[in-house]
Amino acid sequence: MAEAKPHLNLAFIGHVDHGKSTTVGRLMFETGAVDPHVIDEYKKEAATKGKSTFEFAWVMDSLKEERERGVTIDIAHQRFDTDKYYFTVVDCPGHRDFIKNMITGASQADAAVLVVAAPDGVMAQTKEHVFLSRTLGVGQLIIAVNKMDATEPQYSEKRFNEVKEEVGKLLKMVGYKVEEIPFIPISAFNGDNLLKPSANTPWYKGPSIIEALNNLKMPVKPTTLPLRVPVQDVYTISGVGTVPVGRVETGVMKKGDKIIFEPADVTGEVKSIEMHHEEVPEAFPGDNIGWNVRGIGKNDIRRGDVCGHVEKPPTVAKEFTAQIVVLQHPSAISAGYTPVFHCHTSQIACTITEIKAKLDPRTGSVKEQNPAFIKAGDAAIITVRPSKPMVIEKVKEIPQLGRFAIRDMGQTIAAGMCQNVTPR
Amino acid sequence: MGTVAARIRVMPESTDINLNDLKQSIKAAVPSAAKLHAMEELPIAFGLKALIVVVLLDDKAGGGTTEVENAFSKVKGVESINVEEVGLI
Repeated sequence: MAEAKPHLNLAFIGHVDHGKSTTVGRLMFETGAVDPHVIDEYKKEAATKGKSTFEFAWVMDSLKEERERGVTIDIAHQRFDTDKYYFTVVDCPGHRDFIKNMITGASQADAAVLVVAAPDGVMAQTKEHVFLSRTLGVGQLIIAVNKMDATEPQYSEKRFNEVKEEVGKLLKMVGYKVEEIPFIPISAFNGDNLLKPSANTPWYKGPSIIEALNNLKMPVKPTTLPLRVPVQDVYTISGVGTVPVGRVETGVMKKGDKIIFEPADVTGEVKSIEMHHEEVPEAFPGDNIGWNVRGIGKNDIRRGDVCGHVEKPPTVAKEFTAQIVVLQHPSAISAGYTPVFHCHTSQIACTITEIKAKLDPRTGSVKEQNPAFIKAGDAAIITVRPSKPMVIEKVKEIPQLGRFAIRDMGQTIAAGMCQNVTPR
Repeated sequence: MGTVAARIRVMPESTDINLNDLKQSIKAAVPSAAKLHAMEELPIAFGLKALIVVVLLDDKAGGGTTEVENAFSKVKGVESINVEEVGLI
């Protein structure tokens, strides 16, 4: 029997009109993931209308219509295969209002393709998405410099290098190792450098998109990190007892483990673990589980608490420092501002007690010490005091528990990652 | 221009909640800005099942999933709402 290919979750990010969806569609098409009947139908339609050129956009629209007609809960996933991997693609929405969902959502991208249109270069959303992919712990990136057919002159090496430098600076600022990231000149619309090297870019000697995808590494599951399971809900189930429900973020939970819930500060023992209604002896990162605990009542713990082992309990912060990027705010943010922080399953009002530094988005260096305020587009280092005890971890130690979204007035104001914690 | 599919996990208050009734109530609660695409039961643990609800939203309209989350939260028998994933289709 043929062995199944390893699976990777791939996110497509970038500015709204830079051609993300077209790039995804082109990849699907080039890898044979588009149903041949869609292509046949197009050819028939083109013949009746007397159009001879292959309108790729038509295929894209038909694909979307087909998916909307279906009734599957996997509608947001597109799938394609390379020689080495099987990919599930998520095309990230452009509107900022969806950023909260990306931060607190369940799906973790193993890698991301950042699409930047060569004529435009870095735009506001490019910056946001680069920062977000770092915040979300996406370790591997591929940069697709798209719309190379629309540069002046067409397929301009000079323009490609300018964009490469501009994006490179941005990536460095948030801590990516730029020398390890492939920058690929493409035209998703024409198919240049998607599958194989294009004759239009003889000056480019690097990998095509497909080759770069094949060069990705399988990420290691964070099983060696301390156990962290944010509680989503708590139930009392008759004949069973207290059952918290949640997703294992890091570490491994085993039957019989001595566990602690923070900030509730209650301890118990794992009596049994179930996933998809089946008992499992242990649970790993990514598993959605319910676990029956001995010694803890339903009212002792609540949504937002985090379960860990008693030897390595979750960190309860009295105060923490963080790097944030302000996505939108009608005016300015200054010390004393108290919005709601969405971190794992908790939502807690926190006061920004100090703005320690404003960072230069181009270099990542400190632009201004102790600025009086920050506004949309700024990156900054801040000190935060939660209004009540809250579990948050240093992003360098447990990244899954170190990221947050800041919400106020029904908007996502900022996204950030925790750098240091002063424990309770 | 884009349509966003949001996959939302709806947890019932207890194992006693009739999921068929809950499905009907969720269906009725979908706000006009969203379109219900699909709904499935997902077994979790110890007899507890979640409803996975997928709604379609306009990317450019703004507001994200807030309106849908608020509407679903008010449905009788719902314990919690978690938006698990958002993606353009």
